[in-house]
Amino acid sequence: MDLELTEEQQRLQNAAVEFARAELNDDVIRRDREEVFSFEGWKKCAHFGALGLPVPCEYGGMGVGITDVIAVMEGLGYGARDQGLLFSINAHLWTNTLPILTYGTEEQKKKYLPRLCNGELIGANGASEPDAGSDIFAMRTRAERRGDCYVLNGTKMFVSNAPIANLFVVYATLDARLGSMGITAFVIERDTPGLNVTRAMEKMGLRTSPMAEITLEDCRVPVTARLGREGRGVGVFESSMEWERGCILANYLGVMKRQLESCIDYVRKRKQFGQPIGKFQSVANRVVDMKVRLDTCRPLVYRIGWLKAQSKSAASEAAVAKLYVAQSLIASCQDAIQIFGGYGYMVEQGLERDLRDAMASTIYSGTSEIQRNLIAKGLGL
Amino acid sequence: MPGKDVETDNVREEIRQYILAEFLPGESASNLRDDTPLRTGGILDSVSTLAVVDFIEKRYGIEVEAHEAGVENFDSIALIAAFVESKKTLV
Repeated sequence: MDLELTEEQQRLQNAAVEFARAELNDDVIRRDREEVFSFEGWKKCAHFGALGLPVPCEYGGMGVGITDVIAVMEGLGYGARDQGLLFSINAHLWTNTLPILTYGTEEQKKKYLPRLCNGELIGANGASEPDAGSDIFAMRTRAERRGDCYVLNGTKMFVSNAPIANLFVVYATLDARLGSMGITAFVIERDTPGLNVTRAMEKMGLRTSPMAEITLEDCRVPVTARLGREGRGVGVFESSMEWERGCILANYLGVMKRQLESCIDYVRKRKQFGQPIGKFQSVANRVVDMKVRLDTCRPLVYRIGWLKAQSKSAASEAAVAKLYVAQSLIASCQDAIQIFGGYGYMVEQGLERDLRDAMASTIYSGTSEIQRNLIAKGLGL
Repeated sequence: MPGKDVETDNVREEIRQYILAEFLPGESASNLRDDTPLRTGGILDSVSTLAVVDFIEKRYGIEVEAHEAGVENFDSIALIAAFVESKKTLV
């Protein structure tokens, strides 16, 4: 595995950094405080190509490989202060667009992918339920086959992008007695009668990425809305989680790199007791820890790309990366705040927002506890 | 029908190798017998059973219905192989 980016990957990453710095950082403090999603930023990301990175050109995407995607995501994470917007892009890409690309019929792909890539459609994913979080396959949302239709009933919780989305990938069980073999995925358009976005949810961090609960009340969809085969929703879900776990972490490599650089710059310039604070070992050691975390996280994330580029499973490796990068990110956010002291605690510095945004990383796409279960499973335990 | 027995043996062995590689890394093949309980013994959970279903569908060109993936057909290598053979007969 070569960790060095190719010339083309470096060019893509540099372009992502420049784009994010120039276009995605306006008014983030206010938007974070008021929970405002940037539609303008979304359109700019679409124009840049970020919404269709792994989608083949014939469906309106950029058609770049997985390692290229990771390189771009790392660049966006480095350049953008609006981590909520990037989180929305990740939800859109990995839990909606990619499942349609991977499991959709040709008709579904032609119908939705170009509009998902050009920003016209915003994708969301309904999997979690009030009583089915980590135990996701205990979901109660039912899909009943009636002739050429399915009728769905249930409630989906913590649906990222729900308030702004116009296309949902929803998971439901055909028969709870079949366990995970009953779970089936559907693609449902926002204006389908019976699908309602019922309750917006306020969050600790990632506040510029809207979230809500959705309900399905006798929501009737045609058989052609099914994504993949009956009873194979778990495969769709696991595949999307594997991609999300890998690629969302690439943003955090960028965040950690940005924080490290700003901390190095600060401890060189900030003087106390007659010398730069970086000369004090207790301060320097925090910077060193940040550096070690970044350098150990990076290969874990790029290993996912390396494996998936060879069409190999990365389930266990994605879990290792998710577990380690999430806890490293939080630790580095805390170190950055401590290094900046009183300034780091102030909203205007942006470091407290980074920490609030980071706190979700040990929860979404499978908690750290679930990642440990997956790793243990990979070890045959 | 010795030919069919040989074929069933091959199916069992391929399934054994798949399960060892995917879910029991480092385990000796001799510890995964034809009758070792897979689902009820905790070796396969519902998600890994689905992976086995995907494997046998692709490998043997059969189609498994949702209601067929329960303990009755997937609790041991012998049961899975017999299920595969019954499906292949229908093709």
